[in-house]
Amino acid sequence: MSKPLIVEHLTKSYGPGSLAVDDVSFEVKQGEFVAIIGPSGAGKSTILRCINRMVEPSDGRILFEGNDISHVQGKKLRDARRRIGMIFQHYNLVYRLTVMQNVMHGRLGYMSTMDGILNRYKEEDKEKALKLLNKVGLLEYMYKRASELSGGQKQRVGIVRALMQEPSLLLCDEPIASLDPNSSKVIMDLIYELTKEWNISCIVNLHQVHVAKEYATRIIGIRQGKLVFDGPPSELTNVMIEEIYNTSMENLMINGEVRAVG
Amino acid sequence: MKDYFMSDVLVEQGGFLQGKEMKSRKIRINNPDNDRPINIFIGTAVILSIISIFMLNIDWIMLFSRVGELAGVFIELSQFNFTNFDLVAVAFMESVTVTLLATLYSLVGGLLMGAFMARNITPSKKLAGVLSSYNSFIRAVPTPIWVLLIIACLGFGPAPGIIGLSFHATAFFARAFSQAFEEVPQATIEALQATGANRIQIFFSAVLPASMTALIAWSAMRFEINFSESTILGMVGGGGIGYSIAASVTGYNFGRAGISILMVFVFAYCLEIMFTAIKRRMKA
Amino acid sequence: MADKQKHLPLVDGGEKKMVTIAFFVMLALFTAATAYTQFNPFTILKEQSTFWNFITQDFLPPDIAKAKGLWSAMLQTLGMALAATFIASCLAFVFAFLGSGTTAPYPWLSKIIRAVGSFTRNIPALVWSFILVMAFGIGTSVGLIALTVETFGFLLRAFIETIDEVGSESLEALNACGADYFQKLAQCVIPAAIPGYISWFLYCIEVNIRSSTIVGMVGGGGVGLVLMIYIKSFKYHVAGAIILAIAAVVILVDLTTNWLRKRVLV
Ligand SMILES: Nc1ncnc2c1ncn2[C@@H]1O[C@H](COP(=O)(O)OP(=O)(O)OP(=O)(O)O)[C@@H](O)[C@H]1O
Ligand SMILES: [Mg+2]
Repeated sequence: MSKPLIVEHLTKSYGPGSLAVDDVSFEVKQGEFVAIIGPSGAGKSTILRCINRMVEPSDGRILFEGNDISHVQGKKLRDARRRIGMIFQHYNLVYRLTVMQNVMHGRLGYMSTMDGILNRYKEEDKEKALKLLNKVGLLEYMYKRASELSGGQKQRVGIVRALMQEPSLLLCDEPIASLDPNSSKVIMDLIYELTKEWNISCIVNLHQVHVAKEYATRIIGIRQGKLVFDGPPSELTNVMIEEIYNTSMENLMINGEVRAVG
Repeated sequence: MKDYFMSDVLVEQGGFLQGKEMKSRKIRINNPDNDRPINIFIGTAVILSIISIFMLNIDWIMLFSRVGELAGVFIELSQFNFTNFDLVAVAFMESVTVTLLATLYSLVGGLLMGAFMARNITPSKKLAGVLSSYNSFIRAVPTPIWVLLIIACLGFGPAPGIIGLSFHATAFFARAFSQAFEEVPQATIEALQATGANRIQIFFSAVLPASMTALIAWSAMRFEINFSESTILGMVGGGGIGYSIAASVTGYNFGRAGISILMVFVFAYCLEIMFTAIKRRMKA
Repeated sequence: MADKQKHLPLVDGGEKKMVTIAFFVMLALFTAATAYTQFNPFTILKEQSTFWNFITQDFLPPDIAKAKGLWSAMLQTLGMALAATFIASCLAFVFAFLGSGTTAPYPWLSKIIRAVGSFTRNIPALVWSFILVMAFGIGTSVGLIALTVETFGFLLRAFIETIDEVGSESLEALNACGADYFQKLAQCVIPAAIPGYISWFLYCIEVNIRSSTIVGMVGGGGVGLVLMIYIKSFKYHVAGAIILAIAAVVILVDLTTNWLRKRVLV
């Protein structure tokens, strides 16, 4: 399947009168790295959450790997979700459990209820987890409680948990909004490299335009729930940025300098 | 990037992994050191509880065979009897006023004693220690026992209830308030000391306002407990709505017992709703 | 305090007004209640000597030797408190999942469960024991069930609040992984809520040690019943010994639960 995700006329209203997402359509190709930018409250999180149905869309269709998942329920919904990894701004780990236990949660969607309750994970899955933890530099922390890690380390646990799902699509909702500049770079590099390595499509919500320009192969601009820009980073001109954020460049804190990705 | 395989990982991790994993040839995911205290606690609690249940020699078969009668009791209780309702109302008012007065008196006493007990503002550490052990003792004896003792020497009426409840509640407040005072940051107190304020000024303009939220929460909690205790008092020999319940039940006047119980429930329920709302507002 | 304004204004205007209003409301309630009960706080001072005479002459010295069956009764009281707290927490453990907003599978069921909890906790255990005596007759079982019923209501609310506090964010992550309901409970809610559960369990043990003594006094058995017998027969020296023994056991239990909090809840 060359287009794992097609979003058609996605609309979401949380209450009468206001549309958080207003008729948004786009497609994501296999292995694409898409950044969604837009002002606070524009509806970025809502779009992302509609894709894996953490939020119920009011209207429109979500086609994931060729299946319409906008109305599926129960087992079918869980089957779709297990192929869609998600990374959160606040990491959303179970902080009393060890890093390893958190990481293994990514496999729950593939297991029977009983096996999941009793921690009967497959040994090869555990080995895979070890390899991934090693890759993100957390192997020595595997038996530490998640609460004992720093923010950047917690987010790396979140990444490994999402990758354990063997996703074909990765959704990241402001993965670096709570991190310092150095950890932010580590996290963005990891997401970029790992999705590239496994040819996973990736959608990232970002507040930092320069980060979006640096990593993304495509950028989507959202303003007041509407899609106002969809194109490669090179087409995202300052005029376009002003249009998305509805203000002039002087009022925006944007780091213009672009660095090549290693 | 070098590709790691399980064996490399194990070699690199050395003793820790080998000790915990190699034995079972499985990779552990939990850390037994984290889980052990809780597992031991739960295991012990379950064993002791099961022993206790057997020790109590309860006739479960008889209990289950009489569950139907329990439903009958509820039906009888719900056939409210409003004759002589004024007596029930008077008893209820007595419980409410006893609760109110006991809470207010012990609030004053607890604030005073708490101020002397809090280690960061007490004028004398020795006094704090003495007060603290005195209060531990008072709190350790259940309230109705205090009330019984006071009834034994003062006779009946609302006074023994108020005094007995205040006795216990003062000790409760003293400990709770002194802990709240101790949580006031030292910097706040020192800032005032630097301006030359004396102890009493520091207490009223820094310590008290800073711990106000905790004080209100504790007072609300104790008010609920005091009401429940004042209901109980009537059943062990004091007056109030508890006496009305006990007397109606022993006199087979289930309709009146039912209405008394309903009044207790409604009042306690209103308190709960009110205090939950207050707590929510204070948090926000 | 004339120089109060010079200090840091820790209380803003609105709050000050609230405090003033609260103060006057309390004063009015105090006056009304005092008028109603005719309670004169100075009676304590007036009757103080009677009280202390009573304590020092009738109660002291405590006569522990004559308190027959004290320790087996004490054990029964402890057992009743532990058993009631345990059964109540098992029930609350299950029903809290159905009652908490973050884990409730059916909203209507959650409403019913919360209502039942509120009903059982707002009727004191002693009142429950009177109701239960009507159905089951006097005995330890009544005391046990009465304590269990009240504790269940209390723990249900406490456990639901615990789940609400720990839940939503990590639950969201497990949802996104495709975990099903029971996997989410076992892998996320329970591990995160266990310290809260244990802390409330210990609190209820402390409370129920006292309550089971009281429930015993009206026929539930245990040390309360023994104490009541000696008080009613005016054997105050023995009663004094029993009260001291109760105090000692309660303090011991409080110390143990405090120690457990430090050791277990890390
Ligand atoms: N659960 C909700 N209930 C009601 N309204 C909501 C809810 N979640 C979001 N909204 C509203 O929907 C709109 C879009 O919110 P959304 O969180 O998607 O924005 P966002 O682009 O992610 O913003 P941010 O950059 O601040 O995260 C906002 O106006 C918000 O107030
Ligand atoms: Mg957002």
